[in-house]
Amino acid sequence: MNNLTNDKAGATATAWTGILLRRCMQIVALGLLVGTVCFFMARFLPGDMATRIAAGRYGYDLVNNAAADAVRAELGLDRPTWLALLQWWGQIARFDLGTSLVTGNAVWREVAHQLGATVDLAVASMLIAVTAGLPLGIWSGLHPGGWIDRLTLASAVLLRAIPSFLLAVLLMVLVAVQLGALPVAGDDHAGSLLLPALTLGLGLAAGLARVTRAAMREAAASPSFEFARTKGLSDRQALVRHGLRQAATPVVAYLGVQAVFLVEGAVVVETLFAWPGIGHALVHAVFGRDVPMIQGTALCMGGVFVTFNLLVDAACLALDPRRRTGSTA
Amino acid sequence: MASAGSPAQPAGAPLQIVGPWEIGGLAPASSGYIFTRMQITETLMEAREDGAPLPGLAERWWVSADGLAWRFWLRPAARFHDGTPVTAVAVVRCLQAARVAPALLSVAPVKSVEAKGASIVVIRLVSPHGSLPALLAHSSTMVLAPASYGPDGAVRAIVGTGPYRVASLTPPQQVEAVAFEGYDGAKPSIERVRYLTAGRPETRALMAEGGQADLAYGLDPASLVRLRKRGKVGIDTVMLPRTVILKVNAGLPALKDLRVRQALSLSIDRAGIAKALLRDPELAATQLFPPTLGTWHNLALAPLAHDPAAAARLLSEAGWQRGADGLRDAAGQPLRLSLRTFPDRPELPLIATALQEQWRQAGIAVQVNVGNSGDIPLGHRDGSLHLGLAARNYATVPDPTGTLIQDFGAAGGDWGAMGWTSDALVEALAELTRGASSPERAAGLRAQVTAELQSNLPVVPIAWYRQQVAVGPRLAGVSLDPLERSYRLTAMRWRA
Amino acid sequence: MNANLMGIPALARHASRRVAVRRRAGFAILALVAVFALAGPFAIGIDPARQTLADTLMPPGAAHWLGTDLFGRSVLARLAHAARLSLGLACVAALSAAVPGVLLGVLANWRGGRVERALVMLADAVLSVPGLLLVLLFAALAPGRYWALYIGLSLSLWVEYFRVARVASRPVLAGDAVQASRLLGFGAAYILRRHLVPALAPVLGTLLAFSTAQAVLALAALGFIGVGLQSPTPELGLMMIEFLPHYEEAPWLIAAPVSLLMLLVLGMMLLVAEEDAP
Repeated sequence: MNNLTNDKAGATATAWTGILLRRCMQIVALGLLVGTVCFFMARFLPGDMATRIAAGRYGYDLVNNAAADAVRAELGLDRPTWLALLQWWGQIARFDLGTSLVTGNAVWREVAHQLGATVDLAVASMLIAVTAGLPLGIWSGLHPGGWIDRLTLASAVLLRAIPSFLLAVLLMVLVAVQLGALPVAGDDHAGSLLLPALTLGLGLAAGLARVTRAAMREAAASPSFEFARTKGLSDRQALVRHGLRQAATPVVAYLGVQAVFLVEGAVVVETLFAWPGIGHALVHAVFGRDVPMIQGTALCMGGVFVTFNLLVDAACLALDPRRRTGSTA
Repeated sequence: MASAGSPAQPAGAPLQIVGPWEIGGLAPASSGYIFTRMQITETLMEAREDGAPLPGLAERWWVSADGLAWRFWLRPAARFHDGTPVTAVAVVRCLQAARVAPALLSVAPVKSVEAKGASIVVIRLVSPHGSLPALLAHSSTMVLAPASYGPDGAVRAIVGTGPYRVASLTPPQQVEAVAFEGYDGAKPSIERVRYLTAGRPETRALMAEGGQADLAYGLDPASLVRLRKRGKVGIDTVMLPRTVILKVNAGLPALKDLRVRQALSLSIDRAGIAKALLRDPELAATQLFPPTLGTWHNLALAPLAHDPAAAARLLSEAGWQRGADGLRDAAGQPLRLSLRTFPDRPELPLIATALQEQWRQAGIAVQVNVGNSGDIPLGHRDGSLHLGLAARNYATVPDPTGTLIQDFGAAGGDWGAMGWTSDALVEALAELTRGASSPERAAGLRAQVTAELQSNLPVVPIAWYRQQVAVGPRLAGVSLDPLERSYRLTAMRWRA
Repeated sequence: MNANLMGIPALARHASRRVAVRRRAGFAILALVAVFALAGPFAIGIDPARQTLADTLMPPGAAHWLGTDLFGRSVLARLAHAARLSLGLACVAALSAAVPGVLLGVLANWRGGRVERALVMLADAVLSVPGLLLVLLFAALAPGRYWALYIGLSLSLWVEYFRVARVASRPVLAGDAVQASRLLGFGAAYILRRHLVPALAPVLGTLLAFSTAQAVLALAALGFIGVGLQSPTPELGLMMIEFLPHYEEAPWLIAAPVSLLMLLVLGMMLLVAEEDAP
């Protein structure tokens, strides 16, 4: 008995180490990849970046040569490429993200400030997706072919096909303007989170409902569920005790994949709703060719993405004992 | 109809302004205009709609006979928002900072700025500069309290002198202001004001329509059509001294020839652009300055026309033969140009697309690059610019002469002439700057300047600019400043 | 961008009739869109760049079947050219992601051991950046240039081919047929051609269609952000941005590219339809 427990504990530890190692390696890769691309971005931009940045700072009515020279002194664009690249990587490794070329503030401070807003948005979207998608998916799984099932399928197709910005405008027009129920944009009202979160959350909910349905069907068809029924448990009890846990793993794994959808959608939705998050900041930085900000926000978004995947991995590990012992491929 | 009780705008909510301009850093040269518009900070001088100087923080001023010494007396009861009195020393500190480019006081030939006593500021010039009061009305010369500056001399907070003081500041998106009790002028009727940046014009329009914003600036033509049709919000308009211009690199071999520039201008269907894209036929430019810049709008000039046949004739006279896929010169080289513009103003990329097609019909191949607004000055500096499309504000300083010298001086300008200059023009502008001898002489000089620009086309005017602002139902007493210096909040009040 | 193809083996197994019908419907829809994209520009014959400012925003009618846009250009012509451009670029990107991805996946299985581990780590490394972000970074590198978009798209797509190829080729390489071929002395190229390609083709075909559609959506999103292709190039994302402000006065405008995209996605979803357990 002791041996078995020790083996199990050992296997779990190995599984954990594997996950952590993988995600750490991803963070390093993220830093290298984003850092290198941003480095070449800074070098490849045509023309004089100093004037460009000065225009971003002072507005195009006031930009002139003296302003550009002042900015150039800050940049120091004259070192050889390979040396500069090494220095660039070194800076990222030290978490020195530099200062924004447009506002002059420290990048990490701005990014940290915006990260909170994006995390709020992501969490709210997830909540909406889970609240709307899970119950519908479970119900459809238990009652396939019913009208809720068909309705969910139809709306899933529709919601996945509409580009997020169109959905955003439609929601704006319908909910905020016609009904006057919610503020349209910005983040000063308590309710301003709702529309952006709804835009992202509805798309997620659609997919989540379908996946949950499929997972429920699998669970309902599985031998352990049958066994629970033969034990005398009602459908509902069997479901709660055995079905849900088994269905949970693919659903949670699906959520991990959909993190991509969230990250990508955040960029578009934040811009449209003037939500001061990282996606908004990234788009801005790209417009203003503010390379340190581009790098900082990209690293941050990638970091959030990897962290989220780590949490999903941990959740899957906790839910599915087979993964701990490594008996599934 | 969004009433005072709807969740979008509860009763007692602040006046909400939404616009495209961001608060990028606190330096007066970069974001000063946001704070002067909100009437949080003030400048030494103000300006009337036609550009004539008015007292600001300075209640009166005097200039010596030779024009080299200026004196400004400060308002005695003026206070900073932290309660300290406005002293000449504090003002001088701000003006010294404004002498550093790109703040506008750097274009004046200033020898020294001194404080004399507690409330007199003396500015000595190297040479006469009649438009000094206009420069002192620009937001980059705004007056901040000594407490605004950090130990490194950079601005850390906005402590101004205006009727509103900063309640909270979250750059780059928001600033909220509340009425300042210690203001020495008339107290505003609206207690709280808030400004929010929203990047997309559709968002701003929807905010106005939904009642979330009382004033929405920077709306696109399609949204305006929709707002007018719905009738929920009012639309106030004012014609601005801004012109959409085509900056031409007259140093290029192809564009050096005046006939080619004229052909470019004749191929432009300004009426079509104004009607279809800008939704306002009156905005088709007939010359550089719009009618609202009264003294500079020259009624005697022949208006710019749309005449593709004449354009074709001029091009063939200039040696360009029509080939199968466009124009070619004697050596067989096609006429290919690139046009740079930027998306900050939603009309510009649209106009660029229309221009590209109109020139393609004329045989000129133009490639459009929508990028950063900094691309145009940088292209001017390194000579890589062919054509640039921008909306130039000729009253950045209330008197256009200053801007014209920047643009059409001897070396050309980032937003003005490139590879072209005219000594007569420079001389006329210099005389206007010094201060012309009589109003008739000044009028004659202005006519000369505008005629020269119209016939030589170093920049090609395309359309004038009308600012259209959505005004919510809660507000009364709204008026728009054609010089874009102030939102005129103190004149507004809530509708009962 | 990272495709969610659940249960890859299910695609290779014998599928039920209902699923087969759905997949055929998906292929048919995608083929229809492809035909429109390829033949449309020739069949319609109107110059997509030709402007008539006087005919701005005309509703669908006899002269212009889908109406005109703000500049008086024919929406139908622009849609066809846009479809061709977007689909063409997306196809090329998907193909150039597929070839190295599949080869690397097969290689990983073939060699196993350290090579496989290294390749899996490489794939993981690329996965650390969400797809759109990667394309955005490359597009910001050289805005408006085709090669930047193309490289960014390919980089974000290849991982999925790698994974699918690795999983799908495992049973084939371990199977008897391949063992026999190896014993007989046939080389890698033969095994690739004779055994792997037929086995992988159905899965890869599906994946190709899927990633093409995804690439089109990514291009549209990039057009929205402003680092995609530039006007007056007709491109689906650009068209959506151009038509968005007119959603009330001329809703038929934005309906055109959106419907095309929705058709694409619908085809995509039908294509990867799987067993709906009864």
